[in-house]
Amino acid sequence: MGCSASLPDRNSVRSTGLNNAENGGSPDAKNLRVKLVLLGDSGVGKSCIVLRFVRGQFDPTSKVTVGASFLSQTIALQDSTTVKFEIWDTAGQERYAALAPLYYRGAAVAVIVYDITNPESFTKAQYWVKELQKHGSSDIVMALVGNKADLHENREVPAQDGIEYSENNGMFFIETSAKTADNINQLFEEIAKRLPRPSVS
Amino acid sequence: MSTSSLSTSSDDELNSNRNPNPNTKPIDDELSLASITLTESNGNGSVNVNDQNACGQVEVDVEGPSSPTSSGYAGERGSSSEGTSNSRIDDDDEIREVINDDGFVDGVRDARAAPWMPGKRHVDEDDASISWRKRKKHFFILSHSGKPIYSRYGDEHKLAGFSATLQAIISFVENGGDRVKLVRAGNHQVVFLVKGPIYLVCISCTEEPYESLRGQLELLYGQMILILTKSVNRCFEKNPKFDMTPLLGGTDVVFSSLVHSFNWNPATFLHAYTCLPLAYATRQAAGAVLQDVADSGVLFALLMCKYKVVSLVGAQKASLHPDDMLLLSNFVMSSESFRTSESFSPICLPRYNPMAFLYAYVHYFDVDTYLMLLTTSSDAFYHLKDCRIRVETVLLKSNVLSEVQRSMLEGGMRVEDLPVDPLPRSYMSHRLSQHRLLTDSPERFRESTVGIGGPAGLWHFIYRSIYLDQYVSSEFSSPISSHQQQKRLYRAYQKLYSSMHDKGIGPHKTQFRRDENYALLCWVTQDFELYATFDPLADKALAIKICNRVCQWVKDVENEIFLQGASPFSW
Repeated sequence: MGCSASLPDRNSVRSTGLNNAENGGSPDAKNLRVKLVLLGDSGVGKSCIVLRFVRGQFDPTSKVTVGASFLSQTIALQDSTTVKFEIWDTAGQERYAALAPLYYRGAAVAVIVYDITNPESFTKAQYWVKELQKHGSSDIVMALVGNKADLHENREVPAQDGIEYSENNGMFFIETSAKTADNINQLFEEIAKRLPRPSVS
Repeated sequence: MSTSSLSTSSDDELNSNRNPNPNTKPIDDELSLASITLTESNGNGSVNVNDQNACGQVEVDVEGPSSPTSSGYAGERGSSSEGTSNSRIDDDDEIREVINDDGFVDGVRDARAAPWMPGKRHVDEDDASISWRKRKKHFFILSHSGKPIYSRYGDEHKLAGFSATLQAIISFVENGGDRVKLVRAGNHQVVFLVKGPIYLVCISCTEEPYESLRGQLELLYGQMILILTKSVNRCFEKNPKFDMTPLLGGTDVVFSSLVHSFNWNPATFLHAYTCLPLAYATRQAAGAVLQDVADSGVLFALLMCKYKVVSLVGAQKASLHPDDMLLLSNFVMSSESFRTSESFSPICLPRYNPMAFLYAYVHYFDVDTYLMLLTTSSDAFYHLKDCRIRVETVLLKSNVLSEVQRSMLEGGMRVEDLPVDPLPRSYMSHRLSQHRLLTDSPERFRESTVGIGGPAGLWHFIYRSIYLDQYVSSEFSSPISSHQQQKRLYRAYQKLYSSMHDKGIGPHKTQFRRDENYALLCWVTQDFELYATFDPLADKALAIKICNRVCQWVKDVENEIFLQGASPFSW
């Protein structure tokens, strides 16, 4: 019965970005390709937002994300440019926090999600904002998203708190509901509009 | 491998109507509420424990589990909390009720009717709940400071007192320079496993052998390492009271699925993996493209269909332990999110390198079939994604995926198909596939054979190839058709396995055991292990003949049921 006979893993602690060459937008000004990462506490609905955006689906049974899932979706803007989002939907569990740089390195967009019925998740969102300000790309576009807006009767994080925090940190803010699809497409369209465009030479 | 054959003349080796398992030795002392088996960790002396109260008995064993000797020790009943009440609740009627409930259902009867549901159940319970205490098999993971980490049933946080008691038992014995392995309390066994700062405990009245339960705890620990790596120990060095539960957030399903697999997956005690039956050329095609991918810097490439291997390839010198494969496939299959889209996740293979993370690219081709590409490089995602696209293209072109689907539907070896008369080799070698071609409608064929079983009352068999680290298990058919019957049979195999591998009295070559449920025959050679189940009234001499035929059959179809040339995994 075989036991390990091979080389110990020397690379495991190293965490470089995910193939930087492929990210950060293509030179084609009409067809952008951007790496987007979703961050936030577990259970705030990151995967639900992505699946609503990419597949138009909503599954109320919670499926805990492991590591990170990769999905992509292309949208067309009114000015006839297309934006292909390559989305890293990260796991919110604590054990993956140390590995987050693996997924957000080289990202052009970070979507930080919290649950409007859960103040702790709002605190966690602020942690992610600070982490990205410290370690993310300097020109990263950040969006703060208050999800589960359909549960407004259980709201514990006032929209005003989200607005103020995002204004102070130069972020774009929106409240969404993956369940009702409210504001999901708007979120991504708004991000697309804010992307830095490569100049056509 | 079939140069050896089992002959009827070796009858003297076969013990019929005898149970050679020393673990079933009854406790003589009627008054004893608990008997404790201790093994000195340094193995060089007797254990001298002071007489505290006369309600128990300790079996001290310094040489191994084979010959427990009794001393007049009074069992440690621990503190007054519920945790030590195993000995006490044993006197209650409610427990007797459970015992009468019979040995094949863990917990309550709901398992009998409903199919197994993933995830943790009965979270509302704690150690004060009668229903919780009635559960037949508990698993606990706790820290050396007594903090709960995982419990199969009930809410971990509510079980803090119970955990503390388990910790107290372990540290009481450790303070004496010793180590507690097993506590027997009536029909209950409490099995302990200490892994540095992590303690694992199983409390069971399922009558499984100690070695099996200990092996299950080892797998449970391995599953935890797969998720966190062994470097989690450092958290305890920094802070002995470290609370590990948040680190395992969302992994209940992984553990409960593993615990469930102890009931149905023979890989959990055979320490071998099994392959999906496929035509040799089909498996070769899959292997070739995986080899391609492995050559481009992938450490392991595995194509699996549920728990069965389609093909797997490792980089040079890299070997994959069957237990790691079990834990990895359990992790992937029980985590629903892998099915949603392609994923890239850190995982650790405990037998490969328990200290470091590897990165796993996981992609499902269809509901059952998935590809796992493991690498040491954390930035290899796009490369692995390209590899997957290449693999997928080849698999589709060479019809591997549709063949896999077909094999899933058709199933594997059936005892009914065991060739009755020796046939010419040319025919035999294609027996498995020819049968398929001959029966257009396998469903109808199966129905017609319900209740018959194989020749000479053969009901089921498992064949484990030692060099390949692989096993093949026949499909279940009547009369072993219900989930409970299958579970009971696996328990019987488990018992057989551990008695055959008993270090004290073994290893054995053959064993024939007959009880009211089955006649079991086990045959171990250098090359293989065969476990066969017969009708309890089956004739022994005939059963032996049939076993020889099963081995021949397996050899004849080995190219279809085993992954050949996977020697790097079984050196």
